[in-house]
Order: sequence, then C-alpha cells, then structure tokens
Amino acid sequence: MRKGLKRFLAMASAAAMLTGTFGTAVHAADAVDTSEEVELVMYVVSDRPAGQDIVDANMNEYFKNKLNCTLKINWIGWAEYANKYPMLYSSGEQFDMAYCATWLNFANLARRGAFKDLSELLPTYAPDNYAMQSDSALAQATIDGALYAVPTLLPTYITYGPIYRGDIADEAGIEGQLDTWEKIEAYGDFIKANHPELEVIDLYQGNVELSLQWERFQGNFEIDSGNRYIFYDPSEEHPTVFPVYDDPTFGDFVDMCARWSSKGFWSMSALSDTDSTKTQNGKAALRFHNIDTWSNLCVIHPEWDFRYAPMTKDIAHLPYTQDCLVIPTTAKNPERALALWNLLTTDQEAYDNFFYGILGTTYELNDEGQFTILDPDLYQTNACWAVRTMELNRNQAGVPEYYDTVRHEWEDQIQEGVGTERFTGFVFDTTNVTTEIANCQNVRQQYGWPLELGYVDKEKGLEDYKTQMKNAGIDRIVEEAQRQLDEYLAGLEG
Amino acid sequence: MIHTKKNGFVAEFKRNKALFAMAAPAIILVLVMQYLPMSGLVLAFKNYRYDLGVFRSPWNGLNNFKFLFSSGTGWLITRNTILYNLLNLITSQLLAVIIAIFLTEIHRKYVKKVSQTIILLPYFISWVVVGVFVFSIFNYETGLINTIVKATGGTPINFYQMPGAWPFIICAFNAWKWTGYNSVIYIAAITGIDDAINEAAAIDGATIFQRIRYITIPSIRPTLVTMILLQVGRILRGDFEMFYQIIGLNGQLYNATDVIDTYVFRSLVTNPDIGMTSAATFYQSVLCFVIIMVVNAIVKRVDEEYALF
Repeated sequence: MRKGLKRFLAMASAAAMLTGTFGTAVHAADAVDTSEEVELVMYVVSDRPAGQDIVDANMNEYFKNKLNCTLKINWIGWAEYANKYPMLYSSGEQFDMAYCATWLNFANLARRGAFKDLSELLPTYAPDNYAMQSDSALAQATIDGALYAVPTLLPTYITYGPIYRGDIADEAGIEGQLDTWEKIEAYGDFIKANHPELEVIDLYQGNVELSLQWERFQGNFEIDSGNRYIFYDPSEEHPTVFPVYDDPTFGDFVDMCARWSSKGFWSMSALSDTDSTKTQNGKAALRFHNIDTWSNLCVIHPEWDFRYAPMTKDIAHLPYTQDCLVIPTTAKNPERALALWNLLTTDQEAYDNFFYGILGTTYELNDEGQFTILDPDLYQTNACWAVRTMELNRNQAGVPEYYDTVRHEWEDQIQEGVGTERFTGFVFDTTNVTTEIANCQNVRQQYGWPLELGYVDKEKGLEDYKTQMKNAGIDRIVEEAQRQLDEYLAGLEG
Repeated sequence: MIHTKKNGFVAEFKRNKALFAMAAPAIILVLVMQYLPMSGLVLAFKNYRYDLGVFRSPWNGLNNFKFLFSSGTGWLITRNTILYNLLNLITSQLLAVIIAIFLTEIHRKYVKKVSQTIILLPYFISWVVVGVFVFSIFNYETGLINTIVKATGGTPINFYQMPGAWPFIICAFNAWKWTGYNSVIYIAAITGIDDAINEAAAIDGATIFQRIRYITIPSIRPTLVTMILLQVGRILRGDFEMFYQIIGLNGQLYNATDVIDTYVFRSLVTNPDIGMTSAATFYQSVLCFVIIMVVNAIVKRVDEEYALF
C-alpha cells in the first residue's frame, strides 16, 4: 500500500515537473549549459566492432556541433560481461552513461545503489524523451520511489512462438500457421520421415524453454524473467502464483515432451550441446523464440522462407526496462549525457550516425528507408539497443511485411491495464529470497530440464523435481512473489 | 635465526640493510597483491551496496553462506571437489613422473623432442575447444563412440545420462591436458641429477630399473613433495573451466560432477550477488587453509626437510 502511494507521489511530482517544463517551453539544448566541451563515456555490452573508430569520428562531429560534446563508447565483450558489468559500478570508475537491461539485473543493481535518481534530471535535460515515455514505462524504471533508468521507446512484446521453415511446412502440406502443438508434432513427424538430417526442435544447453512456451500458450506469465519456473494467470482478478509443476496441465506437457523425445525431435545430449546456431545453419527446423529472432533469420536465409507463429495467448509489452539507459552514481556530466540522449532519441540524423554508422560506408538505405549492413565485419549496428524508438528505428531490408503488420495487430489488441499488460509494471524484488532463488535455479537445471526434455521417467522425475524444489525453498519464493503481486495490485487499485 | 631473536629486528635490519632493500620490492608486491585484497573477505559478511562501497555496506551476518548449505548441496559439492582434485592430483603427478623418467631415458634427441612436444601440446588447447571434442566423442546421435557402436551393430550408449562414467572421463581429460606440463618440472629435476652417480651405478652393474628405483626417484622426491603440497593448496578450487566446458548445463550428471565453483556459477549467474559469491570463496579459502596446515604438519612429522614451512 505504502509502496503504491510512494510511486503515485513520485509520478505525480514528475508530472508536475513535466508540465512545468513545458509551460516555460524550455528546450533541452537551452536547459543544459554547453559552454564547456566535455567527453562523455558510455558503456555497452557487446564485442567491439572493427569500424568503431570511424563511426565515432563521424558521429562526434555531429554531436560537437549540436551539444559541444563527444562520446566515447567502451565495450564489454560477451565473454566477460557477466563478471565485468556489475564490476563497473563497484570499481568506482567514472563514466556518464551505460546500457542496462532486465537481463543485466537492472532492478537488483538499482536497489543496491548503482544508479543516479533521474526523477528530476530526466524531465529537465531530456524533456522530449520524457514526453514520449508511457506511464507504465516510467513505473517500471521506478524502484523504491526513484527513477533509475530511461526506458526504451521501442516497445517489445512477450510473444513467444515457433520460428519454422516455410519451405518444409508447405512440402508437408500444413495449412495456415504452425500455431498448435498438434501441428508442430505433424511438422516434426514429417521432418523425421523426409529430412532425417535435420533436428526437429533446436535445443541446446541453457536454451530449454519448452515449458515457458507451454505456459505462454495457455496465457500464463512468469513472475520474473530470471525465474521462469514460477507463473501466474494474469487474466484472473487476483492471480495465484504457482510453481510450473502445479499447473494442472503440466502432466500433459511432460507426456508430450516424453513422446517427442522418444520420436527424436531433439538430441539425447541437448543439455551438453553448445551450438546455438543450429536453426540459422540449417541443422534444425524449428526454434521457439521471439519475433526479432525470426526477422533476423529471414534476412540471413530468405530461401528457407522462415515463418513465425505467435503461440502466446495474451500478448503484452515486455517491460520497457528490457532495454534502458542508466546514469551511474559516479557520473560527472549527467546533464549533458541526458541532453545527448534526448538528441539521439529524437533526431533522425543523430540516431542514424549513432546506431547505423556512416551512410555508404557501414550501411545503405533503400527507397523504403530500410537499411542494409554493408560489411558485417566492419560494423553492424550499435549495441546500445535502448536508443531505438518507434519513430526513428529502421527495419532491415529483407524483413517480411508480416513483421510490421503483426506488430501493429498486437499494438491494437493490447489494452492498457488489461490481462498481462496490467502486470508489465510489476518487478519482482528478490532481496528477501536470494538464497532460495539461487538454490531453485540450480534445482530447475538439475531436475527440471531433464524432465522437460523427456530424459527421465515421468512419475519419478516429477516427484524428484517437486521434492528438490521444496528442499530448495520454493515455497518461500512463491509466498514472497504472491505478497508482492498482491501489493502491486492493491497499489494499482488504490 | 637465534641471533635475530636476541638482537631484535632493528639490529638485524641495521646489519643487513642491503639485503632488506633488495627484498623490499618483493615484500611490497606480496603485501599489496596478496595481503591487502584479503580485506575484501569482509564482503562475505556484507549486504553489498554499490553506492556505499565495500566497507560501509551494512553487515549481513552469515546469510550469504546459507545458499551453499540450506538445500543440502554444500556437502555434496565439497566432497566432489575434494575427491576430483585428489584423483586428478594423483593421476596427473604420477603420469608426469613416469613420462619425465621415460623422456630422460630416451637418448635419441629427435625422438625425445618430438614426443615431448606432442605430450605438451594439450596444455595449449583451451577447455572450450576440449568441450567441443568431448561432445563430439560422446554425444548420443552423432558421437564418435556411438557411431562406431552403431556401425558394429551394438546399441548406442547414452553417456550424457550415465553419471558414473564422468569421473573417469574428466580424470582422463585432466591428465591428458596437464601431464605434459607437469612433466617439464620433473624433467628439470631429473636433468639436475649428477651424471656421475648414474654412470657409477651402471658400471657396478645396475639395470635401468634399479637405477630409476634407487637413484632417480629418491633424487626427485623433494620436487614431488613440493609439487603435491602446492597442488593441495588448490584442492578446494575445482578447475572451473574444465568442469563447465565438459559437463555444461547437464543436470543429470551434477550429482557426480558438480564442484563448488560450477555450483556457485550456475546458482548466481542469473541473479548475481557479490556477497554470496564472496561467501563461497571465503568458504573455499578457509577449508584450503585447514587442509594445507594439516598436510604440512603430516609432512613435517614424516620428514621435516620436505615441509613447506
């Protein structure tokens, strides 16, 4: 209750500030003092492209004119980000801005004091960006009453579904989209009989998401993207939180998986396989993932006619902190950093220079304004994905039309405050149950995954999974999640 | 040594100023790089906050240690870590000694160099690559072994669901990787033995095996003991890369293959907590300390000459 009130107050005061800024019509470039030239430092997570230097020189020329600043981008490679990223904030290093995300533990870092509170800075120094932010986006970035991030302005969706080979689906005579488990099984049987060289379902270690797909198909949603074994049904007025195996249909799911496993839809050694490119390289025929993964595959292999079936019952936005920008507590120039962010998210030229690089060197545009990467080894796109907005972002040439049409359909379907969308502002605070979460995480891998892949006997596997989860303290997590979810709902209503 | 006690540190310092000056860089380096960071151990007892830093973060009691033991896995992974290290210690050192002796007994230079290079080569191959080898040897559908089994009409073996097989597989790969490297040290020790002793023994009619038994092995004993003592110090640190790359996220093998490092990594990778990881390291360090003290005391009992301190 108190949390809800706090959040309300924070939003109310932010709104007051917003109107204040607009009332006096102060523009970002005017609000910030640009008399002194500064070099801003930004951290992103990805491997540094070879062409970063020329891209830097090009964009800095533009930034220098506009805001009298230059930007230096530091890259944390994929091989080391898990250790190095949190270290950024504990080492006391001075930098001005960084890419952050739910998968980089935004909420956890925010609670531990890694970021600056932007409640007042954002409306003042990035007013145009702030004006475009939705209430739910701001609510997600607000933790314990403070706004700790600038959320992305490009909505993404929770939709999960099979990405599959259109050429094979046609060959198999499957009608319409591959949007039911029965159709997937028929597709799989056809592949086993006619394309035995292909793995039917692309699974590798760390990417076991069958139960997630099963739950999403029924309209259930996970409590936290890091804990995809605890779900609730957002369509209920007051949803009950439950561990995945307490779903009454879980038995059917396990039966289905056991059957598919015995048919050889995936490898018996999938949990030790590290190859994450099987679909892309024509070694597997179906992968459960999101629409962006699908559109990437379409660009790489148009000849396979990849198709996508959104097997998610209740479509909603992903948290806007899925991609976000944070300002560390150590930042020297938060004002200029936000002014630059304002420019990047509202000015097409600034955005293009920052995100795609140099026209004619790193990318080119076709007549529809879609981009093509000219030399993937030189430069692809910037890794600060949080900068993308609905207005400025470009599609890659070769992305099928369905990508835009279906997203517009989703956008029309989604109603603020209804179903899963009602919960996009919910962030599970794991502080009180860190021990239990660490243990359950382990149990899920040790007992959950083998069960999901049909490697173990159903009765015994289920029994083991439940017992071990109980020992690991799942009841406490469920209880804590339930309490927080109830509080969240009470906050919405009150 | 007795003199120092009598005259005190100051007198000693005055007498050997030059020596102290020479030792200073090393001492400072050890202090800064080894002792100073130990203060970070307090993190194991803190609820870490980025804005407050290591020392000002609030205390957290023993909560950070709970995740290791609350579900009963703590004992299992400690046991696995110790057993794997003992097994690996014995096999890789034993093989290293044997290979070192063989190599030094080979007198044809060309053969010697080539075989030494081949044995050393695995040391330079990263575990990531080894992990791929292992998968392509043992996987169920297309693995090397199962392809052979199927070709000869047998039923394929599902290695990735046979926990019992993996201690041997891991031990074999560990030995394959480290033997060459360890043998270099023993080769150096053996080369250091005075040739005159071997020649005298040969003239007196000692066979090659007698020479190895009575001359080579006793001469390298100090090296062997030191190497083992140094390895014992690492006994609680599983070779993370090796376990992680070979086993991956294969839950069915965990009971037989999980070591402290892999468990901590998996448990915390999606929800990292500096306090909890420090707690795990703290636990390993304390146990290591105890083990080193015990082993050293035993060695001291047997033969004081060989003890580390």
